[in-house]
Amino acid sequence: MKPNAYDIKREIGVVFQDVAVFEELNVYENIDYFCGLYIKDKNTRKEYIEEAIHLVGLEEFKKFYPKQLSGGLLRRLNIACGISHKPKLIFLDEPTVAVDPQSRNNILDGIKTLRQKGATIVYTTHYMEEVEILCDRVIILDKGKVIASGTNDELKELARIEEKVSVEVIDLEEKIIANIREFSNVEEAEYHNHVLVIKYKKGKNNLTELMDYLRKENIGYSKIYSERPTLNDVFLELTGKGLRD
Amino acid sequence: MISIFIHNFKYALKTLFKNKMLIFWTFAFPIILGTFFNMAFANIEKSEKLKMIDIAIVENENFKNSTVWKQTFKVLSDEENVNRLFNTKYVSKEEAEKLLKNDEITGYVELQKEPIVTVTNSGINETVLKYVIEEIIQSEEIISNIIQIQINEKLQEDPTQIVNIEQIGMQIYENTIEKLQKQEANIQDISSNKLSYTMIEFYTLIAMTCLYGGILGMVAVNQNLANMSHTGKRIGVSPISKGKLILGSSIASYLTQLIGVLLLFIYTIFVLKVDYGNNLMLIILLTLAGCLAGLTMGVSIAACIKANDNLKTGIVISVTMIGCFLSGMMGITMKYMVDKNVPIINKLNPASMITDGFYSLYYYDTLDRFYFNVASLAIFAIIMLGISIISLRRQKYDSI
Repeated sequence: MKPNAYDIKREIGVVFQDVAVFEELNVYENIDYFCGLYIKDKNTRKEYIEEAIHLVGLEEFKKFYPKQLSGGLLRRLNIACGISHKPKLIFLDEPTVAVDPQSRNNILDGIKTLRQKGATIVYTTHYMEEVEILCDRVIILDKGKVIASGTNDELKELARIEEKVSVEVIDLEEKIIANIREFSNVEEAEYHNHVLVIKYKKGKNNLTELMDYLRKENIGYSKIYSERPTLNDVFLELTGKGLRD
Repeated sequence: MISIFIHNFKYALKTLFKNKMLIFWTFAFPIILGTFFNMAFANIEKSEKLKMIDIAIVENENFKNSTVWKQTFKVLSDEENVNRLFNTKYVSKEEAEKLLKNDEITGYVELQKEPIVTVTNSGINETVLKYVIEEIIQSEEIISNIIQIQINEKLQEDPTQIVNIEQIGMQIYENTIEKLQKQEANIQDISSNKLSYTMIEFYTLIAMTCLYGGILGMVAVNQNLANMSHTGKRIGVSPISKGKLILGSSIASYLTQLIGVLLLFIYTIFVLKVDYGNNLMLIILLTLAGCLAGLTMGVSIAACIKANDNLKTGIVISVTMIGCFLSGMMGITMKYMVDKNVPIINKLNPASMITDGFYSLYYYDTLDRFYFNVASLAIFAIIMLGISIISLRRQKYDSI
């Protein structure tokens, strides 16, 4: 896209990871300024601004200046500035970084609303649970390269694990863990903070087999549960556990 | 497109007027500095009027042959003159050096090809002496011009007189000097005003205020550039051309800057009682040109230098302060030294162009030097603008 492709730019909204607003303008003025770069008609703009403010829940903060807002409210203002002109394609770059749970919830609800209204959203995040809630299609990037893409279910199928069993147990000998690792289907077994997490390659009768073994070894536990792997597990499986920059 | 321009202009003005740092540098700082100047220099000038300055003149052949120099120092050292400035001793060079070494004189003047002023300190008396010498040099040039004009007139009347040109020249020279002597040779009274050297400080203060507009110009560019600010990234993805937005923001910056200079004028004229002369329209013209030079300088620094906001602000302030220093803000001696030894610096220095423009407007009867300075400022602004446009057009971003 060339810098002067204004017809295309008009249909795009971008919400940057860094909050991009003017410190000298209040909430309403900031949204008005950025919306005004797209929408010339004053009345239409006023209507759009009110909608954006409502979407991110900033009705009570219209006259507030950015430095008077909390981190979460600032993020919501940042979103409002990026989407107030009702773009058809919206890029959101980690909009929920370092925000409180209430703001995060509000932001995610707002994004769902935008999607329901027909906008196409490209959402960048490190929070896999947000991806599971929001996204129809997912691309996993590692070191700048696409390493997997598809729907949530398609990606989960890519992972070698099919079931994850967690056991809360006060004390566990290394010998027991080593024995569990020898079970058929077990991909990985790790014991941390009194929780034993076992990942299985296939998901049939694994829980029964484990419970029988623990009973036989006289090992008591306070809680045991089985779950499907999350997108987070898939992400770690595909990208590895080595720390990133 | 006009509605977008107005929209951007309105918000650019709002952001500038609500930016406390900018308001301080543009509006408050020059007024505070002006107040300090007034407090410091007003007293110096008052006390200086009561003091006479002890100087020596090296009485060599050059001096003896220069009627202008002899006459001027005679008047300025005349005991019956109420405005007597110097207590002058006419001595040999060796004696002058001895007097200076013993602190009996402020300095001595020796006429060689050009006059040489020798001082050991850099105080007010030394500054006054140098200033007077500069004035005499200029007066000498004026007399030369008068004589040349008269010779030309004579030759136009009767071209055959060319054969007697040497004789005619000598006659005119003697007549002119005689006329001047009869008028008590008060050459400085030819001009409309007597220039207080405190005025130079106020001229440099105005120059500084004009050039501080560079900070405003820098802000106008930075807030629209994707690699300089977060807001610039957002603006960069909008369907408006970068040039149009920068133009709108720059005009808002220019207006803000002019308001800053206007406030300074109002404060210095009505509160500090500074007399800038009667040429209001020309003062406005020079101020407009000075502010434009300052603004475009800031725009070009912002566009060309790849550095963060603080560093760029530091560069604009440093360039401005160094420029003002060289044009005489911290003492007229510096302006004198630069003009005498490295004149090219002040020919390229916008602060000096502004200061010199005011100086010539206040002091000279003709406007040639004034318009030369206005034109220099305009050319400076055009060059800065050209550099900025080239630099901004070359900027491309791989990713934002």
